[in-house]
Amino acid sequence: MWDFIVERRSQLLINGFNHVYLVFLAVVFATIIAVAIAILVTRLPKLEPVANAVSAIGLTIPSFALIGLLIPVSKIGDGTAIIAVTFYAVLPILRNAVVGLQGVSPTLLESAKGMGMSEFTSLYKVRIPMAWPVILAGIRVSTQMSMGIAAIAAYVLGPGLGTFIFTGLTGYGGANAFNNVFVATVAIIVLALILDLLLIILGRLTISKGIRVA
Amino acid sequence: MADVATAPNAQADARERTGRKRGPKLDAEQLIELFGIPLIVVVGFVAFAIWRNTATLDSVETNALPWNSIWIQLREHVVLTAVGAMITVVIAVPLGIALTRPGLKRAAPVVVGVANAGQAAPAIGLIVLLAIWFGFGFWTAIVALVLYAVLPVLRNTIVGLQAVDPTLVEAGRGIGMSNLMVLRRIELPLALPVIMSGVRTALVLLVGTAALATFINGGGLGGLLNTGITLFRFPVIVAAAVLIALLALLIEWLGQVLELVFRPKGI
Repeated sequence: MWDFIVERRSQLLINGFNHVYLVFLAVVFATIIAVAIAILVTRLPKLEPVANAVSAIGLTIPSFALIGLLIPVSKIGDGTAIIAVTFYAVLPILRNAVVGLQGVSPTLLESAKGMGMSEFTSLYKVRIPMAWPVILAGIRVSTQMSMGIAAIAAYVLGPGLGTFIFTGLTGYGGANAFNNVFVATVAIIVLALILDLLLIILGRLTISKGIRVA
Repeated sequence: MADVATAPNAQADARERTGRKRGPKLDAEQLIELFGIPLIVVVGFVAFAIWRNTATLDSVETNALPWNSIWIQLREHVVLTAVGAMITVVIAVPLGIALTRPGLKRAAPVVVGVANAGQAAPAIGLIVLLAIWFGFGFWTAIVALVLYAVLPVLRNTIVGLQAVDPTLVEAGRGIGMSNLMVLRRIELPLALPVIMSGVRTALVLLVGTAALATFINGGGLGGLLNTGITLFRFPVIVAAAVLIALLALLIEWLGQVLELVFRPKGI
C-alpha cells in the first residue's frame, strides 16, 4: 500500500486537490445562491414552506439519478460534476439560511430601523451576522455531503478522487484494485474532516463576538 | 441548534439535522410534501409510460428499455431498500436501547462519534471496497446499505430515549412497573416519533445508495442508468434517472406516512 501511495503521489495530490477544489467552488456558489433565495424568502414569508419543501424533496433525489439527468444538458465531464454538487450543496444551506434569517428577533430589526438603518443596511449589518452561525452550520453539512457526491461524479469523468475508486472497480481482481479504492476512500474521509475543521476555524474568526457561545 | 454543530455526510441526513420542527399539527411544508410528492410521482410515471409507448426510439434504445426489465430492476431496487431497511431497524433500535441502559450509557457518545465519522465515507467508495472484500452481489450491497443507514436510526433511538422525561420513568417505577415494562410502555412510545424520523432518513439514504448497487452486481435501477451512460443514449439515461428519482420520492413519501401513522395519539 505504501509503495502504491509513493508511486502515485503526484496523481493522488492532483486528484485530491481537484476534489477539494470542486467541492470548494460548489459550496461557494451554493452559499451565494442559498443566501440570495433565503433573503427573498424573508421578503415573502409565504414562500418559506415552499423553500423548505424544495430542499427536503431535492435531498431525496439520488445523486446518481441527478447526474444522469444532467448528462444531456451539460455533457460528460467537469460541468456536470460541478452542477450536481452545487445543487445538493444549496439545499442544507438554504434551509438553515431561511431558519437563521427568519429567526432574527423583530425587536432587533426595529432597533436597527430606529437607528436609521435602511432595509439593506440592516440586512447585512444585523440579519446576516445574526444568522451566520446557523448558515455556517448548513455550510458544514453541505461540505461533508459534497465530498461524497463529488466521488460519484467521477463516474461521468468529473474530476477528483472518485476516479481512483472507479479505476479500482474496473480493475477488479487486479493487483491494485484494493489499493486504488481504499486509498481514495480514506483520502476523501480525511479531506472531509480537514475541511470541517477549517470551517470550524472560519466560524471562530467570522462569528460576531457578541453572539458567540462560550 | 447544538444539533447542527456536528456535520455528518449523508445526503438525506442533512435535512434532518438542520432543525425541522414537528408540531402536533401538520405545517404547510409537510402538507406540500404529503400531497405534492404523490402528485409528482403519478404524473411523472404516467408521463414516462406514455413516452415509452409512443416515442420513436431506435433499436438500441428499445432494447435497453423493455418493460419487463424495467419491472425487474424496479423490483430489485425496492427489495434492496426494503431488506436494507428491515436489517437496519433490527440492528439499530436494539443497539440504541442497549446504549441508553445504565451499564452502557457511557459508551453512547463514543459509538455515535465513531458512527458520525464513518458517515463521512463516500458511499461509492464503501460499496466498492466491500465488494473487493466480500465479492460482488446482492448481499454485499445490503451490507454496504445497512452500514450506511444504521447511523440515523441509531442516533435517533439514543436521542429519543434520552429525551424522555426522567420523572415519567420514575412515575412508571413508582406504580410498580419493571424495567422492561417502563421501556415498553413509557420510553419507547415517547421516543417513537424521533425513532421514526430516523427511519425515514434511513429509507431515503437506502433508496439513493441502492442506485449504486449495480456497480457491484447488486441489481436495481442503477443498472438501467449505467446501460444508458455506457451506450451514451440520452433517452435511456434520462428515463432511468427519472424512474430512480420517482422511486426515491415515493419511498420518502412512504417514510413520511409511516412517521405520521406511528405517532402516538397522546403526543
